[in-house]
Amino acid sequence: MLDPEVVEEDAPVEEPEEELVEEDLLVEDVSIDGMCGVY
Amino acid sequence: MKLVEHFESGLDAPICLTWELTYACNLACVHCLSSSGRRDPRELSTAECKAVIDELERMQVFYVNIGGGEPTVRKDFWELVEYATAHHVGVKFSTNGHRIDAERAAWLRGNDYVDVQISLDGATAAVNDRVRGAGSYNTAVAALQHLAGTGCKLSVVVTRENVGQLDDFKAIADTYGAQLRLTRLRPSGRGADVWDTLHPTQAQQRIVYDWLLRHGESVLTGDSFFHLAAYGSALPGLNLCGAGRVVCLIDPVGDVYACPFAIHETFLAGNIRTAGFAPVWRESDLFRELREPQTGGACASCGMYDACRGGCMAAKFFTGLPLDGPDPECVMGHGEPALATAIPRKSSVDHSIRRRAMVPVTIVQRPCNESPV
Amino acid sequence: MAFDLERGWALSPQVALRPEPFGALAYHFGTRRLSFLKSRTLLAVVESLAEQPSARAACEAAGVTSDQLPQYEKALSTLADTGMIE
Repeated sequence: MLDPEVVEEDAPVEEPEEELVEEDLLVEDVSIDGMCGVY
Repeated sequence: MKLVEHFESGLDAPICLTWELTYACNLACVHCLSSSGRRDPRELSTAECKAVIDELERMQVFYVNIGGGEPTVRKDFWELVEYATAHHVGVKFSTNGHRIDAERAAWLRGNDYVDVQISLDGATAAVNDRVRGAGSYNTAVAALQHLAGTGCKLSVVVTRENVGQLDDFKAIADTYGAQLRLTRLRPSGRGADVWDTLHPTQAQQRIVYDWLLRHGESVLTGDSFFHLAAYGSALPGLNLCGAGRVVCLIDPVGDVYACPFAIHETFLAGNIRTAGFAPVWRESDLFRELREPQTGGACASCGMYDACRGGCMAAKFFTGLPLDGPDPECVMGHGEPALATAIPRKSSVDHSIRRRAMVPVTIVQRPCNESPV
Repeated sequence: MAFDLERGWALSPQVALRPEPFGALAYHFGTRRLSFLKSRTLLAVVESLAEQPSARAACEAAGVTSDQLPQYEKALSTLADTGMIE
């Protein structure tokens, strides 16, 4: 049985605790309608 | 962690949710996802509903889709909508147009925090009424007329019979200053009875995808076509299954399900009458399970898995497919082989007025030589 | 659209801000737009905007370094464009 992948291939080795460094943009915007499971 | 992984592991409160206020309905649509019709005598009282709203306010649930059945048949419907918006919960309600008269439309026009969503499944009465019943097209259009210019939503369930009318739906929406919304037919509720004959063919799915890409953010989808991301570019939205993670369903008797397309005991997380909504959301076994990392199962080796996330849990469940395998409408056709021998599932939660065997659309036996294209 | 770091800003009155482990969710009740703030530091900046004389001061108070400032300026600019802050 294979272990599930826990590390992204291109994840940085060290990451500031609460920052997501793989994305440059700190804000992502979506419509409230953009969630599946709400008809 | 990527943002999508944060959502898949669940949040302390839903971002938005569906709340079905009643199983009573003045219509009997053949594909009704909640098998609505008869009121359930155990429906939440007005006071219980207000307590739910109070909790949603504390949890900062931003937006609630109030549906049913037909929510406007509840005598306290308008009172509850007002209570919700006065308590920092944005409301969209889904209606067939019943009780949306000039007076109600005027009230809605003046309320900035209520969205109205009118259901319509055919751009002509001929196509629409086959699914939603005689007179339903006229009811919907009358409501659209009353709500003209308010930016209400016109929500369409895409079927084999209306795929050719997408431009016509857009024209109707434009005529009334409404925002068009296309959503996916699921084999849920009474949808299980007609899915074989009503769900779009593979070729039609491609048409829908291309049409949606062309129209971009001007046409909503409720993220219901995230399984089509396997074709190429993702459509607008989170592109993931939100059930039990960022969304859920509260049903008319207080049962909490992973999503409105999954009204079945397998996806029942608990009941708000036990200790409120928050404990169910945060601590139920079902939701804990759904929030564990998904490995993709049989789909993990497919190059499209990152895009399509293995498709819709409810679509797989009710067509009798394994949950860790392809979606029945997998765009790569990987769902077809299993579908040939799968045994569909039905929910015991059924408030249909007529016995389920009596549906106006002819049910065709699933042919085993059906081409995937 | 150039973002003015030197003036005072504030969260729009129609916006609800909900802290999350990854940062925060911001929902604008008027526009129905949902924004994901992808860092707790950005959340701290946005929460302190009204009390600080400028967006720059809010960033400094939250510990944003000069290297990071362009990224935060861009984030604030996006929030301004979508009406989340004014």
